[in-house]
Amino acid sequence: MDNGCCWHKEQIAPEDCPYVRPGESELLLNRKKRILKRCFECPHFMEGLKGLDKDPGDPVSLVPCLLDELQALRIQTRELSGQIEVRNREVKFLHEVSLVLQTSVDRDEVIAMALTAVTSGKGFGLNRAILLLVDKERHSLKGYFAVGPGKEEDAGRLWREIEDHNYTLREMARLFFEQRMAAEREKFKGLLEKLSTPLSRGDHLFIRTLNGQLSRHVEDLSRESGIDPEQIAALGVTEVVLVPLVSKERRIGLLIADNVINRRPISTEDLHSLETFALPVSFAIERAALYERLQEELVKLTEAHQRLQDQQELILRMEKMALVGKITANIAHSIRNPLTIIGGFARSLIKNIPPEDEKRRHIESIVREARRLEEVLQEVLNYSESLHPTFDLWDVNQLATGVYGGLREDLELSVIDCRLDLQPGLPMIQLDYKKMVYCLRSIINNAIEALPRGGSLGIRTSGVGDDLQITVTDSGPGISPDVLRSVTSPFFSTKEEGSGLGLSLCARILEAHGATLDIEGCEGDGTAFTIHMKTPKEENHGSTSGG
Amino acid sequence: MARLLVVDDERDIRHLYAAELSDEGYKVETAGTGSEAAALLEGQAFDLVVLDIQMKGESGLQVLQKIVKERSDLPVVLCTAFSCYKDDFSSWLADAYVVKSSDLTELKGEIRRLLEKKESSLRRP
Repeated sequence: MDNGCCWHKEQIAPEDCPYVRPGESELLLNRKKRILKRCFECPHFMEGLKGLDKDPGDPVSLVPCLLDELQALRIQTRELSGQIEVRNREVKFLHEVSLVLQTSVDRDEVIAMALTAVTSGKGFGLNRAILLLVDKERHSLKGYFAVGPGKEEDAGRLWREIEDHNYTLREMARLFFEQRMAAEREKFKGLLEKLSTPLSRGDHLFIRTLNGQLSRHVEDLSRESGIDPEQIAALGVTEVVLVPLVSKERRIGLLIADNVINRRPISTEDLHSLETFALPVSFAIERAALYERLQEELVKLTEAHQRLQDQQELILRMEKMALVGKITANIAHSIRNPLTIIGGFARSLIKNIPPEDEKRRHIESIVREARRLEEVLQEVLNYSESLHPTFDLWDVNQLATGVYGGLREDLELSVIDCRLDLQPGLPMIQLDYKKMVYCLRSIINNAIEALPRGGSLGIRTSGVGDDLQITVTDSGPGISPDVLRSVTSPFFSTKEEGSGLGLSLCARILEAHGATLDIEGCEGDGTAFTIHMKTPKEENHGSTSGG
Repeated sequence: MARLLVVDDERDIRHLYAAELSDEGYKVETAGTGSEAAALLEGQAFDLVVLDIQMKGESGLQVLQKIVKERSDLPVVLCTAFSCYKDDFSSWLADAYVVKSSDLTELKGEIRRLLEKKESSLRRP
């Protein structure tokens, strides 16, 4: 094996061998290492070895076989090293992601971390990563954020400047989150808007991938069905990977990654690695979103608590007022009877006393003073009653909701399906709340009693012009014309129990409100009770928010 | 001569009403409790009842409900020291509602009105 090859020399000069790379000067001095590391790349050396099988009886003839095996092993080793490197990257990366997961409840920070990982050399080294998230209302997949160089010369520079400091992925993500997030968001605004897609478009590539919960490596977007041409144009690439983000079957979003700058084909490894990390990222995004929701709920709860406290204080004040009213009324009662007796008898006496009698003046004084005291008493009572005006402005939707709430248990017990149908924005109306509650309750109770074996009941509020209506319908047996005529007279009742006062009192209450009650029903076909009330024309109290 | 029944648990009020209403030309009987009133109503015919609400034992409103249920043609004037009973639905069953006063003009007016109303409805064929 002497074909001008330098393998047998113990030491060589750099110009002797073109295969020794700069920085490998040690190989020039160490023959054994040189042979193992570089000589196999040299065609002269290989030729020489292959020519060794001249004599089959010579063990040297085995060298070419061994050589082939050695080369195959070398190739395998290189492949395995590559895979180990990828796995290492994944493990390291997942470890770092998990660190963020354990500590961050800020959605944007989590996202910055994830997209940094996809696009930085320390992560997967893809050129660009785009994140679409399912919006809060769960109507569409919205472009949320993207990371990557805007143009060729930016490629790599973005990360090089921070990679030079040898930051960990976590530090990089934090730097990115603090310094570049807003700028990046602005840069990709147009693209993100174009990529947003309604969830209802089940045929769309993005939605299909998300619903299927399997990642896709699309080599040519233009051959894919269900993606809009303008979306392809906005992406500016034909090859992308799509990784659905799902947490416990709940769709979170979609990660799109590509090599928009260097056009390097995306490998299966890249896709697998992205898939590996999609789950923890989905989980983190979901968790951050939940945390955000929790915060919102907390604020609401705090507000509700505050409102409750205000209400409680109000109730306490009202209770005090009510107590004042009770005390006043009791005093009035204990004074009124004696006054009635004193004044009454004085008046009785005076009738039989002639005008010239001196006693008459005395008795007149008694009458006069008794009357004065009665007037004072009436004033006090009027005042204490004015503290609780019986007629006040109310929202009929609130009235209906309140009554419905009070009867819900009865309805459930009676297996009655009740629908509350409130027209929003009805004007406020002057009414005596307590009495109207009684009235509506009687009507609904009546309907419940008409449904001993369950059924359906509807409470509806509506308003046309200045006519406000509360309608209670039931699917009961209806009312015969005879019964219809007498249903509002006192003590009329078709039922075994009950005083029979309900609907007649209703009629009187409504009369006092200037309202009317319509009863429509035919035997066998349910009944509809409608209360008609007039809204005051001259007073415009604005409308309520409704129900 | 119309016969009235005055029901009140205060003796002096009963005396006053009986004296004043007799002067008006009515024949007046008095009762101090609901059960006394019930016994009197049972035994004799009356044309009208004057009824106090706040009584010891059975309240006037309970008596009223009984009267309305059993003798729906018998007019009742509710008489009370409270004006807040106007809000009580059961008091709406009464034909008139008078707040007690040393001036009995209003009470007498209501009694006269109700008796006339009853007369005219009886005269109608």
